[in-house]
Amino acid sequence: MIRVVGAAIVLVALAAYPAAAARVVSLNLCADDFLLLLAPEQAVAVSVLAADPSLSVVAAAARHVAAVRADSEAVLALHPDLVLAGPYGAQTTLALLERRGLRVERLGLPQDFAAIRAETRRVAALLGVPARGEALLADMQARLEAARQPRTQRAVFLEARGYVAGPGSLADSVLRAAGFADAGQAGRPGLEALVAHPPDLLVTASAPDFPSMATDLLAHPALTALPRQTVAPALLACGGPWTARAVSTLAP
Amino acid sequence: MIRLLAVAVALLFVTSLLTGAAGLGVPDPLILWQIRLPRAALAALVGGALGLSGAVLQGALRNPLADPGLLGIGGCAALGAVVAFYWGLSAVFAPALPLAGLAGAALGSAFLLGFAGRAASGPSLILAGVAVSALAAALLALALTLAPNPFALAEITFWLMGGLEDRTLTHLLLAAGPIVLGCGVLLRLGRGLDGLALGEAVAASLGVPVARTLRVAAAGVALAVGAGAAVAGGIGFVGLVVPHLLRPVVGQRPSALLAPSLLGGAALLLAADLLARVAPLLLPLQQEPRLGVLTALLGAPFLVRIARRVAPGGAG
Repeated sequence: MIRVVGAAIVLVALAAYPAAAARVVSLNLCADDFLLLLAPEQAVAVSVLAADPSLSVVAAAARHVAAVRADSEAVLALHPDLVLAGPYGAQTTLALLERRGLRVERLGLPQDFAAIRAETRRVAALLGVPARGEALLADMQARLEAARQPRTQRAVFLEARGYVAGPGSLADSVLRAAGFADAGQAGRPGLEALVAHPPDLLVTASAPDFPSMATDLLAHPALTALPRQTVAPALLACGGPWTARAVSTLAP
Repeated sequence: MIRLLAVAVALLFVTSLLTGAAGLGVPDPLILWQIRLPRAALAALVGGALGLSGAVLQGALRNPLADPGLLGIGGCAALGAVVAFYWGLSAVFAPALPLAGLAGAALGSAFLLGFAGRAASGPSLILAGVAVSALAAALLALALTLAPNPFALAEITFWLMGGLEDRTLTHLLLAAGPIVLGCGVLLRLGRGLDGLALGEAVAASLGVPVARTLRVAAAGVALAVGAGAAVAGGIGFVGLVVPHLLRPVVGQRPSALLAPSLLGGAALLLAADLLARVAPLLLPLQQEPRLGVLTALLGAPFLVRIARRVAPGGAG
């Protein structure tokens, strides 16, 4: 009886604040970033990647929150009101959670600052903390305005395995926000082409904490002669208000 | 024949230095020394090691299907290198990379030659090799999954497909020693292999130290293939194809096949790597095809042809 009454009180409380989810589980790195920045007190568990400082902007906060894999049993045992997930991974797990009546929200992957604004407002509303979302966006806007300064230099953002970020990507949005003229063409031009037609600035993510052949390439001796600026990889792993900090890094 | 092959290797090597994304002709010294030289030299060394190892294995095992890749020796080497690299050993001690590749290859080749030593028939040896390959690939994927790299899946794919692009002079220096040493050991095995071609009993009666020959072959293949796979990943079929292409020209005697297979392997891998480099210039490709993919496209139909020939009821 007490349990029923308790459940009824919780239901009434939830109905009174329809947007606020008291217990939130995140299964995706990008959702971890948003959740722990916007509403850390609601976080019950975040993904295992959230505690890695080379991937996540909330690594310090994530150490105080339980880690969970996208495993339906583990998630159900946490009794979340809201599950935040990414757009692609673990679709069968998410479908199962939805069949069991859980509310699952899939976050997008914003690739420019307009999309970041929209996504931040959407997630802040989902978590019932719209004011915190606006505060993050105000900080982002201030950084973007401080960094905006048209330049004629050509910058190329070189990613792991030698891929160059092209138009429409988050890295390209960062270069444009920092005022660079041309951000290179998407694809995998190869080291030779980069050395033969060197950009004015080579932008790369700083080396990760784990051994990786894909990023070893960025330390190739043939590239050491090029002017280079590194950006913390976590700022670009997911698009969010924090991405403006990458723009600040590139400001002259 | 050897002179012809040496000229081919030299021509391909020079063409390799003069070809690339930056254009044809003599490039900027930085591109020539830091990008094209390590790549061309590694293609020649790794290809030569694979070709020679294939010839030695086919002779020592009296099996036309023997190949370091097919028998899983290359896979074991790649496994060793993956453990050394992704678990941080080679970051602390750079030679750990080729050494671990060597150790993996040594385990693989010792197992297979031990297996063959117990009078295993041709097909059962190949089956054992298939099992070793599968085990090595599974352990490699497991090692990468357990390594602290969240992008393991992409890294596994690239390792298993093999390639030589963007290697540095450091890679070349690390791999060159063991490969040259291994090839030196293998090239001296000619007489023993000629004896083994007549069967182990006949070889022993001719005074060929059978067990020692097999042990040296295993060690030489491990040195040559192990260090190569540690820097190039999984490149298959070179050791299978090259001796078969050369046998009609140089004859059936295993000793006559060794030096030509070394040069033929170097030429084949240089040519395949050149093809990988030229492909994006000629075709609307976003990036180079992987070298291991090209050698497999070349080698797999070849394997089917040989398998048909050696099958019961076939011509051979």
